[in-house]
Amino acid sequence: MAASSTVGRVLSFCKQFQNSLRISSARNSQQCTSTVIRNQADLYRESSTHFALPFTSCVSQCRTLHTTVSRRGLGDFFDLPENWGETTVKSGAPWTAKQLRTKSNEDLHKLWYVLLKEKNMLLTLQQESKRQRIQMPSPERIRKVERSMFRLETVVKERETALRLLQTGQEKGRPGDWRRNMFGYVYWYRFKEYAIPWYMNKRYKRKKFYTPKFVEPYIRLRIEKYIRGRVRRASLERRKQLKLKEKFPHMKAPAL
Amino acid sequence: MPVTRVLYPLYQLGNPQLRIFRPKWFLTLVRPGKELPSDTVQFRIPLEMTKYDVKNYLEKIYEVPVGAVRTRIQFGTNKKKNHLNQRVKRPDYKVAYVQLAQGQTFAFPDIFPTKERAVAEGSMEELQEKFMEDEKQRQKPDPRRGGVTEWFGL
Repeated sequence: MAASSTVGRVLSFCKQFQNSLRISSARNSQQCTSTVIRNQADLYRESSTHFALPFTSCVSQCRTLHTTVSRRGLGDFFDLPENWGETTVKSGAPWTAKQLRTKSNEDLHKLWYVLLKEKNMLLTLQQESKRQRIQMPSPERIRKVERSMFRLETVVKERETALRLLQTGQEKGRPGDWRRNMFGYVYWYRFKEYAIPWYMNKRYKRKKFYTPKFVEPYIRLRIEKYIRGRVRRASLERRKQLKLKEKFPHMKAPAL
Repeated sequence: MPVTRVLYPLYQLGNPQLRIFRPKWFLTLVRPGKELPSDTVQFRIPLEMTKYDVKNYLEKIYEVPVGAVRTRIQFGTNKKKNHLNQRVKRPDYKVAYVQLAQGQTFAFPDIFPTKERAVAEGSMEELQEKFMEDEKQRQKPDPRRGGVTEWFGL
């Protein structure tokens, strides 16, 4: 009995200590992130506390400060009610790639959904304003969100590429090969999955990745045509310059 | 958005379902043109989205209980002509009618209410409004004439 009570006391003390630690650390992190966040305030308006957290990059801290959860359901398709009927709504700058590169994958994943919801909201607003023939309040927000999403996508792609290069040495996500077709053209063929092995696959075997012998003269003719065209264009230009020179002897020669 | 042609893995029986990590689909909640039941919401969705996609999208991202989804494809008009008398096509889109579950109802709110604008003291707008009011007062006919037209009488 006595032992259990002491254990309980020790536990509770430990918990209190831990809580105080967590809160203080979270505060510090919030202070330092607040400067970064300020210009993106609009992107996670309602969930500022909810979203500012991932910057601490510590799961336990997220849990402690996870105070408000924005679950407005279909209300997320609309702006905050205090912004209804305003002619302009303030918004910050889009996320830059530089800022996004400092975030963890988890944060980027969360941010994607924040941006997605924001864009849905803006599209709804745009459609409604079109319908009522009113000017949309601050239409530049759509472009800002689009740019943020585009940058996020590029950052994620960069990371994927880096990881792939480390793991497999492949530069491209989809493997491929330079192949030539029936007409002697060489092109980048991207591999694709087939349910049947290639030697049984009639559809795959119909494809021809070689150039027959009798096509060679035509390839030469094609090259010849190309070269003749190039030469003709060059000579035309030269003759034009000569004629001009005759007419206007003091003309400056064009920088070729 | 850049068009990234994603190659989905070939599905064979027993494989896990396809998962999308960063969906690039955007829904637009629209005010229904014809009256709908109170538990039905109308959306404009991309053409390649299916009913199941809509259901999962709303349930996972927005946490809205979805009962049933019905879709149709709206033909964008090609009646319009440009200055060269060529037909101009408006893009098609898909319309989804989402029926909410658990007795939830939804009514499209009035998102453009007329708000009282507080005009700043001594600003250009206030002056303009005052001037307009004065002009209106001046344009009014003389009340002493009792509604008799101006050209009548001396």
